[in-house]
Amino acid sequence: MIFEQLSGNLLQGVILGGVYGMATMGLSLIFGVLKVVNVGHGAFIMVGAYVALTLFQTFGVAPPLAVPAAMVIGMALGMVFYYSAIRKLLKGPELASLLATFSCGVILEEVCKQLFTSEARGYNWELGKLDLGFTVLPHAKLLAFGGSALIGILLYLWFHKTRAGMAMRCVVESDEGARVCGIDVDWEYALSFSIGIGLTVVSGVLLTMFIPVGINPYMGGSYTLKAFVIAVLGGLASPYGAFFGGLVFGLIENGSYTLFAQIPGLEPFAMTRFFSFAMLLVILLLRPTGLLKAK
Amino acid sequence: MMNGYRAYLPILPVAATYALLLGIGVVSPDHWQLIAQLAFYCALGQAFNLFMGMTGYVDFGYVAFLGIGTYGMAVSIYTLSDKGLGIGVVLIGLVLAAIFSLGLSLAVGAVALRLRGAYFAIATIGVNEGFRYLLEGARIWNGADGIIFSRHLRQGVGRQTAMALSTWWADILVFGVAFLAAVLTLVYMRNKVGYALLALREDEDAAKVMGINVTRYKIIAFITSAILAGLLGASAWALKLTYVYPSDVFAIHYTVEAIIIVLLGGAGTLLGPIFGALTYGAAKYFLAIVLPGFQLLIFAPVIIAIIVLFPDGTVGLLKKRLRDTPLGKFII
Amino acid sequence: MPLLKVRNVTKCFGGLVAVNNISLEIRHGETLALVGPNGAGKTTLFNLLNGVFPADEGQIIFEDVDVTHFPAYRRAHLGIGRTFQIPRPFNSATVRENIAIGGMFGAAGSEIDVDRAMAMADHYIEVMGLSPHRDKPAGGLTPIEKKLVEIARALAMKPRLLLMDEAMAGMNPKDIDKMVAFLKEIRETEGIAIVAMVEHIMRAVSGLAERVLVMHQGAKLVDEPTREALSDPRVIEVYLGKPPEADHAHG
Ligand SMILES: Nc1ncnc2c1ncn2[C@@H]1O[C@H](COP(=O)(O)OP(=O)(O)O)[C@@H](O)[C@H]1O
Ligand SMILES: [Mg+2]
Repeated sequence: MIFEQLSGNLLQGVILGGVYGMATMGLSLIFGVLKVVNVGHGAFIMVGAYVALTLFQTFGVAPPLAVPAAMVIGMALGMVFYYSAIRKLLKGPELASLLATFSCGVILEEVCKQLFTSEARGYNWELGKLDLGFTVLPHAKLLAFGGSALIGILLYLWFHKTRAGMAMRCVVESDEGARVCGIDVDWEYALSFSIGIGLTVVSGVLLTMFIPVGINPYMGGSYTLKAFVIAVLGGLASPYGAFFGGLVFGLIENGSYTLFAQIPGLEPFAMTRFFSFAMLLVILLLRPTGLLKAK
Repeated sequence: MMNGYRAYLPILPVAATYALLLGIGVVSPDHWQLIAQLAFYCALGQAFNLFMGMTGYVDFGYVAFLGIGTYGMAVSIYTLSDKGLGIGVVLIGLVLAAIFSLGLSLAVGAVALRLRGAYFAIATIGVNEGFRYLLEGARIWNGADGIIFSRHLRQGVGRQTAMALSTWWADILVFGVAFLAAVLTLVYMRNKVGYALLALREDEDAAKVMGINVTRYKIIAFITSAILAGLLGASAWALKLTYVYPSDVFAIHYTVEAIIIVLLGGAGTLLGPIFGALTYGAAKYFLAIVLPGFQLLIFAPVIIAIIVLFPDGTVGLLKKRLRDTPLGKFII
Repeated sequence: MPLLKVRNVTKCFGGLVAVNNISLEIRHGETLALVGPNGAGKTTLFNLLNGVFPADEGQIIFEDVDVTHFPAYRRAHLGIGRTFQIPRPFNSATVRENIAIGGMFGAAGSEIDVDRAMAMADHYIEVMGLSPHRDKPAGGLTPIEKKLVEIARALAMKPRLLLMDEAMAGMNPKDIDKMVAFLKEIRETEGIAIVAMVEHIMRAVSGLAERVLVMHQGAKLVDEPTREALSDPRVIEVYLGKPPEADHAHG
């Protein structure tokens, strides 16, 4: 009985963690290439959630089909923010780019508040369930996990098999080196910022397939926090590290929820959110450059 | 002390501004709410600037210190009002607010201040949320239900005094915090602390090589700024409203406002936060009439514009222009 | 008792051994010229001496205190001062403030308040000929001026050991002679031992340094009195890459 519950929880955790990991890859990509922390990360996830919601409710588009739209919207947003703000701040003090990405997040939140009000919304996409006996997995969640894994693999292939991807990897290693090899480093910056934002908006779509409710303009804050925990777990500059960090985080989050629910007097939902913050501090205390990364 | 009293002349424009604000409020009670709001922003800006402006680090979880200060006052009044301490509960409340914010700043600072740049931001951004959910999750201090203590305040100090406290003295305390923050900023600027912070803001590694224990000075600025925030929360929120909910007092948009105020005026200057607060406060007041709900939407792009176009802020620019004029002595 | 005693320090960056098992001693008031081709590990050795980062192995003893695990600021308090290869003044601070900061927090820092530090700054501004720039932000100066500000800032720290990274890079022969004369003077007046990384070996070294330490690929190649070093074929080969006869022209 307890074993069934546990394995059920672990499985749910891994599946959620996969989506979390995908939701952090954009953050890591941007940090890896530009050395900029996107403090407004969660707001872009929120945008993805509204893309999925609007396409589903207004046009009847199934959420997985919203992914390409989300990628396009995200990349466009990324380009706009890059050329209007980020680009001019790369040479300046770190403070400047932190404040700028933070402000980008606030702008998105406020725009979405005007467009959609601050009321929490949700949608209902019935796709059936997979009953494993010890746990039940809705197909939508499986699809979200599959989608996340697929995107992770595609990103990997793009990085390792295409010219553009290899150029970007060079920039991660050394922008000076890349520059002398004839790579247009400024364009790589713009591109990776834009792809990073695109991936993040897409992850917002996938997250709604997991949790199709509670969509509101200010939902991003807790995802920013989670993404930071995951990114720091996996090494801030590594998108794949982020993916595995996500898996670990999903497991821990699910496990801690189950644990907190056993303790009388605690609100497990709120405690889980506190826990992710506490975890962040502990990881930063132990090894700020990433727990999972090999020494 | 550098050049004796003359080094402290810039406190005059600060004092004059606050006296003028107070004067307007007293003469025209209809505008008292606006004046009180402006004083709150002045205090918020001054206190926030003491850390962000002087160190160049941005604490995205800053509002947590206001929140926990609010709880300091609330807890004192809620639990001690029947002990016959009279107005003493308010004083104890202020002390508790300072102690709570000190404690939280030590805990956060111990982790975050060892980290540089981006990692510092990452460590602080969740502090307000993390603390809010700790209170709610573990049901500390009534958890999400908050503490409502208007009855306790009346019980403790009497109806009349309670009334005067929340309608008048709370705001006067806010002025006090604002002025205290300005004085501390100037004292720091004129002493070794200020030079250490200036050095580490420019180049932390070079500062270390010059013999500056950078962690120590960052902690000094962090703690000072946090305690001021705690006192501000205790007066502007707890004493004035006589209730506290975690979802209200840990809301990140107060941090956003603090950032806007400091950047508008000029980070690291003495007068900048005042200028920023008055500009932002007035703009917000009128926007609330003309375009309700649009303040942040308008000001967030303003932040970006400032960082890109004139990172020194208004007073920062003025300071450079006036450096060699007689006015320059007052503008820092 | 030597002022500084370094025993077998090593520092690796990944697979690269930037400083390889180096030992050296510096006596009070002595001037040592540290030379070696680019990438030899001189800057890294400086960083180890003043604690910018810790050594992987080895021991550093300054005036009988084992400072191996001391952070940079505590070594500064004990009396190790430093200038950087690429000058790093505090850009938005004025020249005067820059130098005063050195005085306030350096070796004598605990007894020096802001006013005294400013007075010290004025003294060194005078000494370095920086008077016209006293109240200008350091960020706006020329590289050479920045270098002078850095030296003044380091001197205001009242160090017992001054580490000068590329002390005379980018200077013309006249400036070098002036700098050499100046360094000789402060060595006498302030009793400072100097480890200067110098590029113009003949001009600067022969006039200034009693000893020369040559580094090559992280290791110590030569450590001997200047006179011998100048005619040591190994030095000439590593440092100048020229046959020995070129030396006589300068001798
Ligand atoms: N922070 C660092 N990280 C990695 N490698 C470094 C670092 N600093 C120096 N190096 C390497 O160590 C070697 C020695 O460098 P350095 O001490 O600067 O030489 P020098 O000052 O003699 O020119 C060089 O190969 C350089 O690339
Ligand atoms: Mg060097």
